[in-house]
Amino acid sequence: MSAPTTVTWDGVARGYVPPAALPIDPRLALHETDSADVDPVTFEVIRYALLNANVEHGQTLQRLCVSPITMLTRDFQPSVLTQRGELVFLGPYLQYFSNAQSLTIKWILENRSGDPGIGPGDMFLSNDPYVGTPHQPDTIVAAPVFVGEQLFCWVANVLHHSDIGGSVVGSFCVDAADIFTDPPAFPPFKIVEGGRLRPDMEQVFLRQSRLPGVVQMDLRAAISANTVTAGKIEALIARYGADAVKTVMSKVIDAGEELFVERLRQIPDGTWSHRLYAEASHTGDTGLYRYQLTVRKRGDELLVDNAGTDPQAGSINVTYAGLVGAFLSALTASLTPDLAGAYGGVYRRVRFEPVPGTLSCADFPAAVSPSGVFTMELLISLSGSVIAKMVAAGPPELRDRALGPAQPHWYGTIIAGQQPTGAPYIAVNANNMIGALPASSDADGADFGGHFWIPEGIASNIEETEQLYPMLCLYRRALRGGADGAGAHRGGRSITEAYVPWGTPGMAAALYIDDSFPKAVGPFGANPSSMGRVLVKHGVGLAEHFAAGVVPQDVEALPGQQEPVDHKGPMLMLGPDSVIAWTGANNPGYGDPLTRAPQAVASDVGHGWLDRADATRVYAVAWAADGNVDETGTRQLRAERLSERLAEAAAPADGRPPTLAGSDAELRPVGGDLGVLLVGGQPAEWVSLSGRARLGPITGDYRPACAVRQTPVNQVAPEFATRPGRPGEAILLREYLCPVSGVRLATELLRSGDDPAADMVLAGGGE
Amino acid sequence: MFHIGIDIGGTFTDCVLIGGGAPGGGTYHTAKALSSKGDPADGVLAALAELADSTGLALPDLLARTERIGHGTTIGTNTVLERNGARVGLVTTAGHGDALAIMRGHGRVAGRSIEDVFAVRGTSLPAPLIVPGAVLELHERVDASGKVVVALDENRATDAIAAFIAEHQLDSVAVALLWSFANPEHELATEKIVRVVAPDVFISLSSRVSPRLGEFERTVAAVLNGYMGPACTSYLDSLGGRLAAGGLTVPLLLMQSSGGVVPASIASEVALGTLDSGPTAGLTGVTALATVNGHRNVVATDMGGTSFDIGLVVDGQPIVANEAVIDQYTYRLPHLDVRTTACGGGTIARRDPQTGALRVGPDSAGSEPGPACYRRGGTQPTVTDADVVLGLLRPDSFLGGRMPLEEDASRAAIARLADSLGLGLEETAAGIININNLRAATLIRQQTLERGLDPRDFVLYAYGGAGPVHAFGYAAEIGVREVLIPLGNGASTLSAYGIAAGDLTWFAEVETSLLAPFGDAALAREIAGAVERARKLMLAAGVEEEPHLDAWALMRYQEQLMHSLEVPIDAGGLDGAPADREGLADRLAAGFTTEYARRYGAAAASAFRAAEIFGLRVRARVPAAPGEVSGTTAPLPGEAGRPEPVFWPDAGQRLPTTVYDGGRLGDGSALSGPALVELSHTTVAVPRGASLTVDGGHLRLLLPAAEAAEKGAAA
Repeated sequence: MSAPTTVTWDGVARGYVPPAALPIDPRLALHETDSADVDPVTFEVIRYALLNANVEHGQTLQRLCVSPITMLTRDFQPSVLTQRGELVFLGPYLQYFSNAQSLTIKWILENRSGDPGIGPGDMFLSNDPYVGTPHQPDTIVAAPVFVGEQLFCWVANVLHHSDIGGSVVGSFCVDAADIFTDPPAFPPFKIVEGGRLRPDMEQVFLRQSRLPGVVQMDLRAAISANTVTAGKIEALIARYGADAVKTVMSKVIDAGEELFVERLRQIPDGTWSHRLYAEASHTGDTGLYRYQLTVRKRGDELLVDNAGTDPQAGSINVTYAGLVGAFLSALTASLTPDLAGAYGGVYRRVRFEPVPGTLSCADFPAAVSPSGVFTMELLISLSGSVIAKMVAAGPPELRDRALGPAQPHWYGTIIAGQQPTGAPYIAVNANNMIGALPASSDADGADFGGHFWIPEGIASNIEETEQLYPMLCLYRRALRGGADGAGAHRGGRSITEAYVPWGTPGMAAALYIDDSFPKAVGPFGANPSSMGRVLVKHGVGLAEHFAAGVVPQDVEALPGQQEPVDHKGPMLMLGPDSVIAWTGANNPGYGDPLTRAPQAVASDVGHGWLDRADATRVYAVAWAADGNVDETGTRQLRAERLSERLAEAAAPADGRPPTLAGSDAELRPVGGDLGVLLVGGQPAEWVSLSGRARLGPITGDYRPACAVRQTPVNQVAPEFATRPGRPGEAILLREYLCPVSGVRLATELLRSGDDPAADMVLAGGGE
Repeated sequence: MFHIGIDIGGTFTDCVLIGGGAPGGGTYHTAKALSSKGDPADGVLAALAELADSTGLALPDLLARTERIGHGTTIGTNTVLERNGARVGLVTTAGHGDALAIMRGHGRVAGRSIEDVFAVRGTSLPAPLIVPGAVLELHERVDASGKVVVALDENRATDAIAAFIAEHQLDSVAVALLWSFANPEHELATEKIVRVVAPDVFISLSSRVSPRLGEFERTVAAVLNGYMGPACTSYLDSLGGRLAAGGLTVPLLLMQSSGGVVPASIASEVALGTLDSGPTAGLTGVTALATVNGHRNVVATDMGGTSFDIGLVVDGQPIVANEAVIDQYTYRLPHLDVRTTACGGGTIARRDPQTGALRVGPDSAGSEPGPACYRRGGTQPTVTDADVVLGLLRPDSFLGGRMPLEEDASRAAIARLADSLGLGLEETAAGIININNLRAATLIRQQTLERGLDPRDFVLYAYGGAGPVHAFGYAAEIGVREVLIPLGNGASTLSAYGIAAGDLTWFAEVETSLLAPFGDAALAREIAGAVERARKLMLAAGVEEEPHLDAWALMRYQEQLMHSLEVPIDAGGLDGAPADREGLADRLAAGFTTEYARRYGAAAASAFRAAEIFGLRVRARVPAAPGEVSGTTAPLPGEAGRPEPVFWPDAGQRLPTTVYDGGRLGDGSALSGPALVELSHTTVAVPRGASLTVDGGHLRLLLPAAEAAEKGAAA
């Protein structure tokens, strides 16, 4: 036996982490001058031109690419980066690509600057997740921009390609055991050399795809857009000088850093954690998998780790690049969106110290390709939760910036089949783009509000889908409100759709997501979000319904045989009389539903978004005979529910009877019912606002002082039920209650047998 | 005989009269009256009375001698923005009643600025247009080929619709069924039912208002039309009646965002077309003037207090766009492509705290409180304040002296900013102007470059209160040498002129799905169908003249959903003999490839991907053919005043600058910069090295060659 070798973060055996000092071959000269004297007017002129060069880069991609779904969901991202790969501008497109170009370019500088070298007119292509991309379909093309012999900066784009190979149509290979059954991953190679497209290398890439024509068109678009943008930067250099342009780039990054630090300083030092679970690491698997994220704020810096995350497994992994991209997209969207994509300086203040070999920081050769619909979303949601907790410790204006947990998966389907002409098609249903926003500390989440990490995507019209693919949509409806997404502020509502094959004998669902438990839970005592569901039924008698003048609207009620569906099951075959329905998810709320303003509940009922009976069941709102809220009845009903909770709950773990804050004590809200008791104007102890129960010093966990109720989540409400025998049966909803009032302070999803995750401690406690 | 154009603005109602006389010798009159908040028709009548006065005619005589009268109204736009429209309900296909609320998941950000898009928080869905809950889903279905999948049960629908209208107390119904543009049978049947069960209810059909693919945008179009249709109809009926009673013998025409006019009698079909027709009228006016002036390619720029609108005229034709957004609702209707950015006289300058750089916009002080120098409570430095500090605007001559500006307030506001930047007062003011010009130039450049056009091949028309004073800067920035300030007076009446000069215009757009290689026969069939549709629309409006036809194929590579390229269909293909049509398919395919390669480079054009024609657009128009315009009526010699020391932002120094009273500059006058020409609504800045001539009633500014070319190349 040889001695164990040290695994390094080299982008080969393990995700690439650039060293502090990037080793670049000395034969590559860099343009480094960034201290030119640029007056405030010229500065703005150059900044505005650079910003617009990047905006126009995105617009060019959008016009030239042919993949409809990629364009509608803005599944691409242009960037301008410095000569050393530091981000200057990111566009308003898919935000978790934030660091993909940066990592890839740094890897290129470290590994390609000597041999084969980096020269004017070159462009590198890479889709290697161990180097920098979140998963293989997201392909990076990076173009160095030279001034004379010196490397001045980079322009680059990431673009999701429709199919780049692998075991599953569309390249989300849920059945992959490792990267050898995943789509191929190409470390950076020159796709363009000295201004000339290399046909041999283009063919190497296209050869992997089921849709080489589409991929070629999109690849050419990526190359053209880079060429045009590089030209604009060269023109800017010609007009204002390289030193001035570089100085502006550097200062833009510095400015972002300064703003971020300014905001960070408003938050006390502390540690915040959150945990989520996924199911099924690959097709056929019924396991449950844990993802955990902890953020420590120390002075002007954030430290992020994933300790507590399960070891890598199946196809539900991401590499370092994915973890970092997910966290940064949630962080910048919440804390510094006003930088409008100039995020490079923020990144300087976030240090990642992940545990390798885990689901969220996998080592080679773990498979990662399905992460674009599973793990990336889960990590963005996880990050959003941790960030919401963290900023709640700051002043209200900062707390209200938090966007909260996003939808934990990208629900929807990938359906494949043949057109009536015999030509194959791959229909990626990305209408989950309609999305919904999570609730925040001061507002409900926007219904159909999209996704904060794709700020301006758009779903297809049904007519566009039916024109492109041989299928008919029975409905696209808004999801109703219910226990899912409930909170003091409720999460935004999303949609459900149902399709049947049309003008073709059948079709096959290659990718679909049917949850057996809700994956996300809202901060400060909110309910979980919806479970994404898929319903497949055969022999439903469509023709008879149509002939009778009816477009079926309730798939459950249709005759026929329902096919049981798994979370990551095998391909589902749909015949001419089959229907497939899928739901997106209402996003998580914020705070305890029993504290939601009854009039807000009444408003939802009035709009027809929530049934009266559900309002009573979920929010304990009582109704008067005239249909208005019965205020007295509601107070009474809520009091009963809160007592029930306490009766069913275990007493506080610390074994002490609750002590109350005095009537003259100064309390400050943190989030939901959780607050802090101030001593001498400074936070000293956790406290519940409803019951004024003192929950221990802020340097420790408040939850041992809470009453705790624990219920299998499938039994919490019909919205969270699943059919017997599925993994979700082992997931518990743990409610941390004010021991006096019974109002929830926090909720947590927990795998049976797991200890609770850490939550939050302030001012250096809990280390 | 007269052509009259009437444009209702927020403050003033403008009227223009063009006499049908000989070119140059024809009459041209303008009049202005305060807009009336209650009944806009009062303002119109008042302005017409002013106009009659200026021509020396009694109003009845003026109206009797009018052969064409066009009107632009903002009543529809205001109805939508103020949400005081009809009680409209939506009838749609079973399973798709939520489409209007779901908004394709894009409603939160549609039409919002990039800053808002990034910010996420603070954005929300727009307020609903329909009565809450007033959606009726009918069991009916048509598929993508137009085939009926589920027939509409008319008996069942009749009961449902009657109950629906009664329950929600509707006075308007919008009908938008899936695939109705491919087969309108069910929408037409629904219309009949509504007419029977509720004859007084206004009806808006999506297949008529916006027969385009995409149920969301088509639904929005039908609902918007239904929402403002009743208000527009009753207003136009009232105005038309008052004009007829006053002696008008011809039908009132209504300005559309398509850049043409249509008879107001069919307003129920076209209320939607009045949305955003204001900026379009200006561009229509520019197009008419450009034709007269022989300018084939024009950038039309309208800089006002808060916004900067631009439109392009290419090869004599204004660019047409398909998609429009009002209050975050997106709909599809062919309209002149006028784009807007927040960049005008009221745009605020500030120091960016992180970089220490000077930022200009996008926030604006608007007109309330307005720039510091307005003395209405504004204290933040604006572009107008910078103009005052530099001397480009003279405080006592602003708006012809009607609104003196407080120079000290401007200086104080700019000085505070200058201190924080560590720059001098004038340096800061000049910087504000230069950055504002860069922002304006960027919008122009983006619109020209995305079409593969070089802005240096354009003449720039500048109007609006803040246009002529800054045009020298943003024109130079994009490399344009020739700037025209139309109609001599800063074009405060350009929109009214556009309305008077606009052709009777109908657009017919049809969806096709012709995939290359498409055959001549199928193509000819589709084109004939589109032409017939356009002709029918005209006949339905009672217009029987033979129209001039233009047509374009809307093309892209297959599945390239975000792309649309208009390839002109030549005369042979449009209505030529069968022999002329031969080879049309090949000509269009070749035209597409050529245009694609010209815009995006040969490498982007694909030999391995099929092109498709996804739509056809036909425009039928009956030209208005107004007489030529002479904008200045006082051919007096230009009179130079005392030179003023103006700080020119391009020169970076104060230069003795001659000030002219533009009202006194006659045709043939010529002057050279540095100079200011003061007009009643704006000032034209003529920098050093530039010259200005008065020609055909327009002011023509020629910028120095070298500077413009150099900047344009670098931009």
